[in-house]
This record gives sequence, structure tokens and C-alpha cells, in this order.
Amino acid sequence: MSEPLLQVRDLDVRYGDAQALWDVAIEVHEGETVCVVGPNGAGKSTLVNAVAGIHPAHRGRISVGGVDVTRLRGHRVCGHGVAIVPEGRRIFPRMTVLDNLVLGAYRKGARREHRASLAGVYEIFPRLAERAGQLAGSLSGGEQQMVAVGRALMAQPRLLLLDEPSLGLAPVRVDEVYDAIVRINERGVSVVVVEQDVERALAIAGRAYLLGEGRVVLAGPADALRDSDDVRRSVLGL
Amino acid sequence: MNVIQATLTGVLIGGLYALMAAGLSVTWGVLRIINLAHFGLILIGAYLTFQIATSWHLDPVLTLVITVPAMFIAGAAIQWLFDRLRLTEFNSLLVSFGLLIIIIQVTSNIWSADFRRMSAGTNPYATQSVAIGRLVFPVTTLLAFGLAALVVLAAHLVLRRTFAGRAMRAIAQDRAVAGAFGVDHRRLSVLLGGVVGATAALAGMVFSLSNALTPDTAYEWFGTVFAVVILGGIGEVVGTFAAGILVGVLSGVVSAVWSPAAAPFVLFSAIILALLLRPQGLFAVGGVR
Ligand SMILES: Nc1ncnc2c1ncn2[C@@H]1O[C@H](COP(=O)(O)OP(=O)(O)O)[C@@H](O)[C@H]1O
Ligand SMILES: [Mg+2]
Repeated sequence: MSEPLLQVRDLDVRYGDAQALWDVAIEVHEGETVCVVGPNGAGKSTLVNAVAGIHPAHRGRISVGGVDVTRLRGHRVCGHGVAIVPEGRRIFPRMTVLDNLVLGAYRKGARREHRASLAGVYEIFPRLAERAGQLAGSLSGGEQQMVAVGRALMAQPRLLLLDEPSLGLAPVRVDEVYDAIVRINERGVSVVVVEQDVERALAIAGRAYLLGEGRVVLAGPADALRDSDDVRRSVLGL
Repeated sequence: MNVIQATLTGVLIGGLYALMAAGLSVTWGVLRIINLAHFGLILIGAYLTFQIATSWHLDPVLTLVITVPAMFIAGAAIQWLFDRLRLTEFNSLLVSFGLLIIIIQVTSNIWSADFRRMSAGTNPYATQSVAIGRLVFPVTTLLAFGLAALVVLAAHLVLRRTFAGRAMRAIAQDRAVAGAFGVDHRRLSVLLGGVVGATAALAGMVFSLSNALTPDTAYEWFGTVFAVVILGGIGEVVGTFAAGILVGVLSGVVSAVWSPAAAPFVLFSAIILALLLRPQGLFAVGGVR
């Protein structure tokens, strides 16, 4: 196989003195959908935040498209094609939907084409076009999640990281968001999806990682993980 | 007639308050820094206007050609320093207060603690006024109001319509996520510090046109300017402008119909009342925060 789009090796991440990740290694290849599951506090958010440059790595190496981004200042990582839909959405509540989306295209490479990107986002989420002038904080949870995904798409990522996109949404809205993720992946964007809703994430993923207490416990094809005792025990509580 | 004159003069003087407060408000809203040194920059702006106009016989408004770039650099440098120190909101109050004291000390070493005022020959604006019927408006206050309106409008448009402006509002709301989308917090804060410094040059120039200068003046601005910032809503440029006018009118009218000594009392009572009713600021309507 060719070089992976995302390669994480020996990654340790700390919050002050408290270590949250130990020796984590994951890979995502071009065009893949990979899911990361694990119980609460396992370090899933820490992992994607480290990849997105939101939180620094303590040790190890993160490379995107063959480029080492481990020591880059946080705002430079997106320039290599990484965009994140953070846990809890974290849209800019006092900015309009349109301003949220346009901010997604802030990085130099995406800025010039932001009108074309916007048309693409509206095609996936027509409702955002209707809501363009509204303050993002006034939208429903499902619509806010669309804003968060749309904002990430505006950055024209090669790798899209989604941290619990179903969190707090009604089942119909979860369906909409997951349909969108599949369509985005079909357009050639590689996807990492972190989920508590394990069944849902495994259904769209090719491969999966199980995190537990800051370490990769299990890795393999999504189907294999679904049937594994570890996953059933640690996440599904069966 | 007296009240009408006082009201309209208050509106115009409110422009100066807004000009002084706008930079403070945006820095507070976007960068979470309460930069008391801003008052020091306004003071330096005023003294530089006095000095350059007096020594080189330059029109005081034209001194902006020198003071605006100079204060841009000073403002950017201060912000750069704050950024290195990784100040919290509260610490910024202490550190910038220290910086203000240093600035005031330096100005009194250079210009002494005596009152300094541009001579009538140097400053033609001080004695000019525009009369409309029986109402009279000093040119200096018209200038202050015009500049304030211009600055506020420009800031509003930049914050709403440009990538840099959106990025600043995004930083105010979620710095980490803004960073994940490529917003370089350090660079923007230095840029913002520079622009805010430039507005201090404008405010200082306007102040020096109609006032005698002494280093302690900087402390006298505190009450009124903070009132304008809080009333307008932190980080809200248009709100700051409206609050400046409100404070100007309130002080003017109370001084005219009652007594100038009563103005601060009425003003701060009104502020406390306003904040009880609308803690986010009287004119907060979706600014940077
Ligand atoms: N900002 C933080 N400061 C300190 N500890 C944190 C912080 N965020 C997360 N942690 C700790 O790191 C560990 C992993 O958290 P997280 O990555 O949020 O897990 P998950 O997303 O899998 O629920 C937990 O023990 C959590 O308490
Ligand atoms: Mg999490």
C-alpha cells in the first residue's frame, strides 16, 4: 500500500502532569473511513485534537500526506488538509451561519475558492442556505452540527475528523449527519469518525480502532471489531 | 435652548469618549486583555500632537501622518509583549496598569507636570466654531465626532466583512477552534494592537485640540471611558459609539440643568441601573464576543 494520508506513531499526549494518551498509533489511507471507538475518557477527543493541532503532542510523530506536522504551531496544521468537527460542535454562536462557514475557508489555500466551497456545502446541507443570515447559536442542535461539518468542509480538507457527530441529536438528525459523512467520503475526503454510538460508526467505517485508557486496545476491520468481545464489553456494555 | 445646546454638544463630545473607548473595548472582547496602557497611548498621542505641531509649526491634524504610524508600532509592540507573557484577563489589568504608570512617569519627565496647551497660532481649531441658528458647535467637537463615526464604521465593516475581521470575532468566541481553521492568534493580536494604537493617536490628537495636557489626565479618563465600554457591551464597536453619545449627553445635560459636580453621580447611577437591567451592555447586539 502507498504511504498513509495520516500516520500517528508512538503518540503521547499530556494535560499538564496528567497523561491522556500512551504510544498511540493509527493510520488512515486516502479515501478511507476509519472509526475510533472507546468508553468515555479513553482519549478519543485527545487523539483527534492532537491531530488537528488543537492540543500539542508530548512525544511521537504525526504526519499528514508524508509531512511531519507534530511540531507545527496549531494554526498551521490545517494547511496540510486536516479539518475537524470538534466534540460538542463548538460553532461560533454569535456569528451568522454564513460567517461560520466562511471562517472555515480562512486558510490560505481555501480562501480564494470559498464561494465554490460554499455552493458545495449548501448542496449537501440545503437548510444552511436558508439559515445563512441567522446567528449560529440560535439554531437547533442538528443544524448546528451541519454548521460544524460545513465549516470543516469549507477548509477543503483531505482528512476530515469528526468527534462524536451524533452527540445530543435526535435519531433523524443523526441519520442526516451520517448520510452527509458518507457523501463527503464518496467525494474523496478521508474520514476519521469518533463515536460513542458504536454501531452507527462501525456501519460506515472500513476499519476501526478501539481505545481504552489512553491506549489502542484493538485495531482491525470494522466488521471484526463489531463482533469482538472487547468492543462488546468496553463500549457496548454487553 | 440651553438643554438643546447641551444635548447636542454632549452628542459631539460623546464622539471623543467613543474614540477613546473603542480600542479598549475591542481588545477586551477579542483578546481578553483589559489594556489600561491604552490610556497611556492616548496621552502620548496627545503630547506628540502638541510637540510636533508646536516645534515644526505643523497643522495639528496633519501630525497624524507621524503619530498614527508611531502609535501603530507602539500598540503592536505592547500587544506582542502581552502575548509573550500569556496574560489572563485579570493579570492584564495589573500588567497594563504598571505600564500605564511607567508611561505617565515618562511623559511627566519629558513634558513636566505643568499644563501644556498648543498656542492659538499653532492650533487654529480651538477658536473656531460653527453656528446653526443660536446653536454653536466648536470645530474640535465636530472633528472628534466625525473621526469617531469614521473609525467605528470602518471597524464595524472590517469585523463583519473581511477574513481578518471574522477571524478576530472567532478568536473572541473560541480561540482553539479558530486556530484549527488556520487563524494565527499571535499575528492577529499584534495587528489588532497596532490598529488600536492608531486609534489612540486619533483620540490623543482630538483631545489635545481642545484641552490643556498634564500627565495625570490619563487617570481622569478612566471613569468615563470604562463606563462607555461597559455600557456599549464589551467588544461591540457600534454599541461603544452609542454609549459614548449617551454618556456625553447625560453628562452635558446634567451639568447644564443641575451642576457639573452632579454629572458623575448621575452618570454612574445610570450605569449601575443599566447593568442591572442588561448585564451584557445596553447596546450589545452581536458583537465580537
Ligand atoms: N482539558 C483537559 N484537562 C485535563 N485533562 C483532560 C482534559 N481533557 C481531557 N482530559 C482527560 O484526558 C482523558 C481523555 O479524555 P478525552 O480525550 O476527552 O476522552 P474521550 O473523548 O474518549 O471521552 C480523560 O481522563 C480526561 O479526564
Ligand atoms: Mg470525547
